[in-house]
Amino acid sequence: MKRFEDLIAPHLDAAYNLARWLTGNDAAARDVVQESALRAFRFLQRFADGNAKAWFLTIVRNESYTWLKASAGRHWVAFDDDIGDDEGALSHSQTPELLAIHTENAALIQQALCALPPVFREVIVLKELEDMPYKDIALVVDIPIGTVMSRLARGRAMLKLELLKLHDHE
Amino acid sequence: MNELDCTVCQTRLHGYLDHELDPATAADVAAHLAACPECARLHDEVKLLKVSVKRQAPYYPAPASLAASVFAAGAPATRAVERWQKWFAPTFSAAALALAAVLYVMTPGSEQPLMDEAVSSHVRSLMGEHLNDVVSSDRHTVKPWFTGKLDFSPPVFDYSAQGFPLLGGRLDYLQHQTTAALSYGRAKHIINVFILPVPEADKPRQTQTIRGFNVVSWQANHMRFVLVSDVEKSELEAFSQLLRDGA
Repeated sequence: MKRFEDLIAPHLDAAYNLARWLTGNDAAARDVVQESALRAFRFLQRFADGNAKAWFLTIVRNESYTWLKASAGRHWVAFDDDIGDDEGALSHSQTPELLAIHTENAALIQQALCALPPVFREVIVLKELEDMPYKDIALVVDIPIGTVMSRLARGRAMLKLELLKLHDHE
Repeated sequence: MNELDCTVCQTRLHGYLDHELDPATAADVAAHLAACPECARLHDEVKLLKVSVKRQAPYYPAPASLAASVFAAGAPATRAVERWQKWFAPTFSAAALALAAVLYVMTPGSEQPLMDEAVSSHVRSLMGEHLNDVVSSDRHTVKPWFTGKLDFSPPVFDYSAQGFPLLGGRLDYLQHQTTAALSYGRAKHIINVFILPVPEADKPRQTQTIRGFNVVSWQANHMRFVLVSDVEKSELEAFSQLLRDGA
């Protein structure tokens, strides 16, 4: 039990933050972290040594997806969202100023992030909010390191479009 | 610059901004950015996005009640664990008691006043013009300035490349001791790094929040490091990792 707490306690905030961003609500994030802790506890023997944060976040991520699947059907697994289409609608000349204005607005940033499919949202959360290196993100998300970079590239491009789209709806 | 270069560059510039490229690739990207206004524009946009997500997107820390229920005695008290609990609850209580005793003995009483003092000193340093006695981002200016003023040699490095530029240093006074205080910038935030000599051996890193400021502290090489700032906890911890690893 001591070892369990030593391993997990330092990463409880990171776990909750990830679960909260993936599920989008507090009660679900709570349940997900509870369930993840239970799993981590059960599989403690199998965790030899190494990166406890990545290990625990991997469990939290899986639990979050289980919750998402159970609660929302499958629309969210939008790996192949076409992001190229809307781009032409915005003239290049106005995007820099617009973007500068929108990135100052915390509510818009949050709204735009939530609009991203979870697979893109999670890499941005792990990179920017947890400041995790690509190699750890690769472990958590279970993809090659090179894919972490391309997924971040896609995710950020989509985030930019979402921010610009929000302007149109204002 | 052909089309392919731009396509590759537009993915790689993310690794470039995240400091994940090896030096040779990073140099290629930098060279391409210098020559290609289109990629340079994208670079600036992504940089802006990164900074604003970091700064504006909410971080959701675990509610205290969650930690309590996860680690409560026999914590994951559901299903499979119940059998386990029957056996181990007594052992576990004993262990918890032992842990409490160890913590009680090991935690020096002087710890908390030091942290409080450090936070007060941080706040004071931001009032008026008393942040730095020696203003320089050059460690070869800041470090020699301390020589002769302190009876220990605090490590001084600049971390501009990682986004924590060295702003300067000053002498401070904590726990009745002369203390080195280094200040670093993080976007518009200030991080104070207090370094004072201690007789005890190394101690692992601890993070706490005092009056809304994040405080990270540890001991290494017979020096106590206390970082105080209003930057996010994760960023302050990342910065502490940089300091611990040295330059």
